[in-house]
This record gives sequence, C-alpha cells and structure tokens, in this order.
Amino acid sequence: MTRVLVVDDEPQILRALRINLSAHGYEVAVAADGAAALRSAAASPPDLVILDLGLPDMDGAEVIGGLRGWTDIPILVLSGRAGSPDKVRALDAGADDYVTKPFDIGELLARVRAVTRRRAAAEESPTVQLGDAVVDLSAHTVVRDGEAIRLTKTEWSLLEILLRNPGKLVSQRQLLHDVWGPAYEKETNYLRQYLAQLRRKLEADPSRPRHLLTEPGMGYRFRP
Amino acid sequence: MVMARGQLRIYLGAAPGVGKTYAALEEAHRRASRGTDVVVGFVETHGREHTGAMIGDLEIVPRRTIEYRGASFTEFDLDAVLARAPRVVLVDELAHTNVPGSRFEKRWQDIDVLLDAGIDVLSTVNIQHLESLNDVVTKITGVPQQETVPDEVVRRADQVELVDMTPEALRRRMTHGNVYPPDKIDASLSNYFRVGNLTALRELALLWLADKVDEQLAAYRRDKDISETWEARERVVVALSGGEEGDTLIRRAARIAARSGADLQAVYVAGGDGLNGTGSTRHLARQRLLVESLGGTYHQVVGDDIPQALLDFARGVNATQLVLGASRRGRAAQLFSRGVGVTTTAQSGSIDVHLVTHEKVGRGSRRTGLPGAISRMRMIAGFALTVLGLPALTAIMHPWRDDLSLTTDLLVYLSATLLIALIGGIWPALVASLAGFALLDFYFVQPYNTLTIATREHLFNLLLFVLMAVLVAVIVGISARKTAQAAQARAEAHTLAALAGSVLRGDHPLQALLEQVRETFGLTSVTLLELGPEPGVGPGERRDPNDWRVVACVGEPCTSPGAAETDIPVGDELSLALRGRTLPASDRRIVEAFAVQSAVALRQERLSAQAAAMRPVAAADKMRTALLAAVSHDLRTPLASAKAAVAGLRNTAEMFSPEERAELVVTADESLDRLGRLVANLLDMSRLQAGVLGARPVPIWLEEAVPPALDEIGEPAAGVTIRIADDLPAVSADPGLLERILVNIIGNALRHSPPDRPPLVSASAHAGLVELRVIDHGPGVPEDAQELIFTPFQRLGDQQAGTGVGLGLALSRGLAESMGGTLLPEDTPGGGLTMVLTLPETGE
Repeated sequence: MTRVLVVDDEPQILRALRINLSAHGYEVAVAADGAAALRSAAASPPDLVILDLGLPDMDGAEVIGGLRGWTDIPILVLSGRAGSPDKVRALDAGADDYVTKPFDIGELLARVRAVTRRRAAAEESPTVQLGDAVVDLSAHTVVRDGEAIRLTKTEWSLLEILLRNPGKLVSQRQLLHDVWGPAYEKETNYLRQYLAQLRRKLEADPSRPRHLLTEPGMGYRFRP
Repeated sequence: MVMARGQLRIYLGAAPGVGKTYAALEEAHRRASRGTDVVVGFVETHGREHTGAMIGDLEIVPRRTIEYRGASFTEFDLDAVLARAPRVVLVDELAHTNVPGSRFEKRWQDIDVLLDAGIDVLSTVNIQHLESLNDVVTKITGVPQQETVPDEVVRRADQVELVDMTPEALRRRMTHGNVYPPDKIDASLSNYFRVGNLTALRELALLWLADKVDEQLAAYRRDKDISETWEARERVVVALSGGEEGDTLIRRAARIAARSGADLQAVYVAGGDGLNGTGSTRHLARQRLLVESLGGTYHQVVGDDIPQALLDFARGVNATQLVLGASRRGRAAQLFSRGVGVTTTAQSGSIDVHLVTHEKVGRGSRRTGLPGAISRMRMIAGFALTVLGLPALTAIMHPWRDDLSLTTDLLVYLSATLLIALIGGIWPALVASLAGFALLDFYFVQPYNTLTIATREHLFNLLLFVLMAVLVAVIVGISARKTAQAAQARAEAHTLAALAGSVLRGDHPLQALLEQVRETFGLTSVTLLELGPEPGVGPGERRDPNDWRVVACVGEPCTSPGAAETDIPVGDELSLALRGRTLPASDRRIVEAFAVQSAVALRQERLSAQAAAMRPVAAADKMRTALLAAVSHDLRTPLASAKAAVAGLRNTAEMFSPEERAELVVTADESLDRLGRLVANLLDMSRLQAGVLGARPVPIWLEEAVPPALDEIGEPAAGVTIRIADDLPAVSADPGLLERILVNIIGNALRHSPPDRPPLVSASAHAGLVELRVIDHGPGVPEDAQELIFTPFQRLGDQQAGTGVGLGLALSRGLAESMGGTLLPEDTPGGGLTMVLTLPETGE
C-alpha cells in the first residue's frame, strides 16, 4: 500500500485529505508542522509527501531540503495562488510538482498518481509513448508514423530528462543546469527554442501541445 | 533621329490593397480607348477578382519563365516588350526584385530601359518600398522591407499619383475578402493592417508626396510619443552674441534646419563671471521668442572661452551644424586676435560651421574697448574739451599771470583736468594733464615763454600736478567702469530671472529650474537636498543634522552638501548642491537666487501634489461603497447556496434520494468554485490597489503562455485558434498574472462567440511592444460602452447570473498595467470585440 505523508497546519485540510486519500486506498500519515514532518518521515519513510509551503515553524523549502538529504521520494507541494517565486524555489529545492490552493481533489489525486507512477515506471521499459511517436530511450530512436525522426544531441538530452520524469514539473534552472551546465541559469530562451523544435517534431499540433507542456516562468513537464 | 524618352507614371499607395493596380489598369483602358497602343507587361492580381476582371481585353505580353534552383518562376519579359514596341506598357510593382538570371536585378531598371526606348510606362509602388523611408516603416510596422526602390526613381517620374484610401475603408475591404483570401484576413487585420499602422503609413505617403517628410517626422514622433525610435538626422545650433544681428542668424539657421529636417537650438554664451557678457537683454529676449516661434529652443551657457563653450554645447546636444555670425570687429581688431568664428571653425571637428554675414559685419559692436567703460561720445567730448578748453583757459588767465601765484594756476589747471577726467575718462585726462603741464610751464612758470624751469620747486609742483591729474582720471575711469558693470550685472540677472520665470511656468518647475542652473553654469549635476525625514514629523522628534535627502536632481545625484563642489543653503532645511566645477563668487549670487526659486518651486510642487492626491479620495470613497454593496451580494449568494446544500446533507441526508444528494453536492461544489474565484479576484484587486501585488516579471514567450491558459479554461477552449509566430520576442511579465489575464479575456471571448466561429488569438511585435489580440466575432460592444466594461461590477447587459462577477476585466486591466502593459478593446472588423493586450518586450 502506498504510504502518503500529508503536512499542513490547517486541521480541516488535514482531515479532508486524510479521508479522501484513505478512501482511494492510500495509507495516510499527517503532520502539522515541519519538524513533525521530518520526524515522521524519518521514523517510517513514506512513498510520497504532500507538503504545504506555509508552515508555522519552518520554510517549505527547508523541509524539502531536509527530506532530499536522504531520500528521493516524490514531493508534491501545496501553495497559495500568489507567489510563483515560492513555487520556483520549492521546485529548485527538489519538489516534483505543485498544486495551487484551493485545489480540486480530483486534480490532486491525478498529480499524486502521476508522481508515484513515475517511480514505478522509471526502471521499466525503455520505450515511451509520446502521442503518436514512440521514443526508445536506450536505443536513442524516435519513430513517428513509421518514420524515424532525427533529434539533435541537445534535443535528446532535454527530452530524456523530461521523459524519465513523467508528470514531474522540471524547473527551468534544473534543465539548464543538467543540459548546458552549471554556468547557465538565465538562458530560458534556449529552453524555449529547443522545446519548440521538439514540439514541431513530436507533437501533433505544436501550437497546442498535449505532451510537452510549459508552465510559463517555471519549467516544463512531460504529460504521458 | 533622337527618340524622346518615354513618360513614367507611378501609382503610389500607402499599403497593399488600396487599389494601385486597379487604378493603373483603369488608366491603361482609358488610353487604349483613345486609340493608343497599350499592352500589359506585368500585372500581379494577387488573386483579387476585381483586379483580375479589370484587365479585360488589354493585350498581355506573355511572361518569361526562368528556372532557378530547380523551381520555375515567371517574370516580366523586357525583351518581348521591347520587340513588341507598344506606345504604353503597364508594369506592376516597381520595387520588385527580379529572379536571378534576369537581365537586371530590379524591375525599376527594366523600366528605365523601356523609358529610354521611348515607351511610356505605368507602374505601381507602395510607400514602404521607398528606400529613404525603409527604417521608419520598419519601426512603425515591425516588418522589415526587403524590396526597396531608390527615392529618385520615383521622384524622377513624370507623374506620381497617390492612390489614397482611409484605413477604415481599407480594413472594410479586407473583411469583405477583396484583398486577401479569407483564411488570412484575421491575422492580417491584427498585424500589418492595424488602424494605427495604416494611418501612419498613409501619413507618410502624403508627407513624402508633399516633399516634407523629414521636417514632419520629428513632429510625428513627438505626437505619437515615440521616444526611442528614429532620430532626426540633423541638429542645427545657432550661436547668438546678444547683438541685433542675432535675428538674421536665427532666420538663416531656421532655413538650414528646415531644409534638412533638423532641430534648431539657439545658444548664448554669457561670460564666465556672469558679468562680462556683451549681450543685450532686450535683443536676447526678443531672439528667444523668435527661436521658439520658429520651433527651436533657446539655451544659455556660461563660459570664458566663447568658442570652447559654444563647441561644448554643440557637441553636448549632438549638433551637426553650427551657425555663427561673421565677425563684428573692424579690420584692425582682427589683426590682433583670431575672432570667435575663426577659432570655432578651426576646432569644430565634425560639426559643420556656417559663417553668416550680416549688416553689422566689420562695423564693430557698439561697445568697444574695455567692456562697460566710458562711452565713445563722452571720450570725444573729453578730447574736445582738452583741445579747446585748455587753450581758452590759458588765454583767459594769461593777462593776470603776475597777480596769481603758481599754486592758484596749478589748482585752476587741475580743476580743468578733473572736469575732463569726469567727462571723458582716463585718456582725455591723461592728454589734458600733459598739455596742462606744457602750458603751465610755458606761460606761467618763470622764465616765461620757455620750457625751461628755473627752480626745482616749480618742477616738483608741475610733476605733482600731472600725477594728481592722472590718479584722479584713473579713479574716475574705474568708477565709471564699475557703474557700467553693475548695470550689466543687473541686466544679466534680469535675463536669468526671466528665463527662470518661464521655466517656473512649466509642468515640472523644480526639475526644469535645476536643469536651467546646470546648463547655464556648465555643471555636471545639480541636486536639491532636504534635511531630515519627510515633512510632517512630530515636533518631539529630533533631526539628525547629517540626514540629507535628495529631493530633486539633474545629473548624478549628490547625497550631501559636503560632497558638492559648491553648496548653497536655503533656510535651515534645504541646500542646493552643485557639482562639476567650483563656482566663482560672482556666480554665486545668481545661483543663490536660483536656489531660493527652487525652494519656492519645491513647495509649490508639494502643494499641488497634495491637492491632486485629495481629488481621487472622494471618487474612491464613492466607488468603494458601490463595490462593497456589489461584493457583499456576490459573496453571499454562493455562500448561501453552498451552506444550504451542505447543511441539508448533514442534518437530513436520509430524506434524499441518491440523485438529489448528488445534485446538492454539485451545487455546493459549484458555489464554492464561484466563491473561490471571487475571493481570488478580490484579493488581487485589493493587492493591486494597495500596490503590493509584487509582480515579478520574467521573460515569457506568448506562444508558450497561451496553451496553458487554454488548458486552465478546459474543454470550452478546444476550438480556440492560436496564431502566434514562434519568432516573436519574449515579453516581460509575471507568469501567474499573465495567465489570469489570458484566462479572463479568452474566457470572455469564448462566452460571447457564436459556436461556429471560435475566437482567434494572435500576436505581433511592434517597436518594443508585443501585442496579443483575442478576437471574437460575437455581438461586440458599442464604442461608447467599451470603456464601461472595465469598471468593476458593470457587466454589460447584465443577464446571466453566476457567470463571474464583473470584476474580471477591471482586474485584468489592472494586472496588465502593473506589468507595464495595457489592455484595450477594439472593434473586430465585421462585428465582434477584439481585446488587445500589449506588453513590453524583455529588455535583454
């Protein structure tokens, strides 16, 4: 059974999430502040953490840092509507995705499924279905409508990072860092250009992408 | 036989689709109907039916087919037309670039050959293809022009006919599909064929025809608030000496400026000590008005070295031409030093110097010699008195010379010399004293009638006489000069005060005043500093004596009086800090007057700011009351329905059927969604109004930002068409806020669109701005109500309850403005509303 740790200082939210998640077959642990969350996670490691960024005792990014020190379990962040810098900071600290309050429980469950499935899928088959294109990550080939599509080295690197993290919102900074190197932080126009090229090669309608999605100002996400 | 060159007639248009080709065809038919031999060499109909039909029965010379890089092109066949040798030929699109492999690179070269062969040519060209306007057009439209034609080709034409059409009419033609095929219409209308674009292009075409483009460009730029686009190419500076001839110079400079479309600036160099300028206040005041009436500006700078000061000013304003008067000095004076004109010319470097002659050349200025000394008239009178008065005096005194002692004689002559000194100054007095010495010696000192002096005492007396006469004359001369200087200083101060007065009447008097000080005294920065915290601190609080605050400044701000070269305190709390050079004491007096004026200007600005701040408070109060009433209604309604549904489920769940229970849950959920949206909007609105929204602009590409917004809207947005080029520059915007705006305006467009015509989202870049257009073909909004829809809770035709709360557009506009953008409504040609969101390009 998948074990979920929910961290939030609002008792009503904790209650609502506990009931909903339990009803969908998750085992739920709750914590009302950052310290309790870190203790609980250390005592019995969960498979997924749902973390509110506005905690009374410490900054959400600190909690993420504390967890990332020893585990790479998926972390889903809950945040208020305002403040995209908070979200970017959380993503850069190692969060997998975020959901904005007030959220639809259906959407939250979908995100939970996406990030937990990723862990299961990561080790499995090297081929990924992207719309009507099939990407073979080990053989480095893409086939679309029976035709092989050529990708440049940089396009491959980007695509691979996104495909290996299905559902995860990968921050701009991380993509730049992993593909171009640590000296690149602000060159978001590179990302845009290469993603536009990838979409032209892989998406059915590049102007309305279904799989390689942009979260403007934050990062990119592969939606299977 | 020499063949007469053919005549060229050009149809000039402001934009594609105004009907140039049509007009040319009409002319061809007209000539053909008179029996002239007319053929069509090349016509591009762009698939426009009316134009195609207009060719009618005109003879068409077949086009040539050219193979180029594996593709075949058809091209105007010059040789075929030459062989056919008609009287008149119609060749469309003068600016066209021929396919490589043709005889010439450009079509206008083909046409030149036709004209040489004596064939009349009818052709067409659009204003954006004219070479000299290329930059301007690119900046207006954001579309670079590849095909250009040299201006002189068009200028040389025997006739240029403007095919004119109002922007509105052209846009109407477009919506009817008369210009482009239907699938291109919306995109064209929102890009190249925007009313603003078309109006600008049309104005350009008219101006070009009127041969006044250069001159008007500056005005155009001013009117449209285009700050950083094209530069006026020339700037003419005219140097004024303060003499009468300045009028002539200014008029001449204005003509030079007008010819090259240049700015005109007049400058007067006052002396470095603020005192020795030779300018006449009266002339300068008049000349300043003259310059301003000719569209120029008047400036005054201080400098000892006039050529240097002039050139410094000219370089400072990027002048390209400098107009000076030819020397007013006589030939003799020119022998001793090079004049201002010669020196300036020698040092001017890249600035062209025009030396303009005028009526006063060589006559000398009215004041010669030491500036401000005794006038020429008085000096002549002094000499006259010396020459006539002294002999007369000698003649009168001669008969009594034995009765008078030498002392009396000396005192009489001394008195006469002093009188001459008072009237004529030092030079006549000097002559008079020497003449007096000679006369006394000859007639009154024994032995008489010789220049021999018998006793040493007498010689000593005579020498003392000369010394005293000279000393008195010098004193008189100095005091006369001082008097003149004082008068001039008054005049100088008066000039400055008059200038300052005009400055104070402007919009930002304080800033303008400081700028005036900086310019006049050649400083790098002028800062007005104030001591202590903002005014209005409680009386108990003590002020830190070193806590200076910059109130206003021009140039690099100077943060404390100690850091300035010169500081001039005004009262206890203000100080004017000047940097750039140390001012001499004489200038200080004038600057002190400026300092006091700036304190007055500061107080004035603060008072008017307070008054302005009070005005909206009343309006805001009224608005807040209305808002509160509307909000409390809109908040309470969903809250009530959610509460009713949930409470029902909680207390009496067993009384409901499963369907009813589900319905109640849906009701509660929907009501809460509505409540959530409203709360989010209200929060943002209040943050916006409190100025704490905290927008953090990052580079965002619209083609990436629009799809997520459509996802957010969900299913209804599936039909929305996106037409955004992926080479658009990034905008500077906060991602979250941009999404709110997009969701809002696209959502609105969807709500008002007929099901078969979903909205179109398109974008284009123009002069540093990116415009996103959400175009719907719904019922539209009447023009007089278009601003109304941005008022909170003013849902137009308020009918559907529960479709948002009339806050959306007000909020969207506020959000756009908080990111340095705008949100404006426009009519969609053919019906519907277009929302135009304009955002700045990222600076990087």
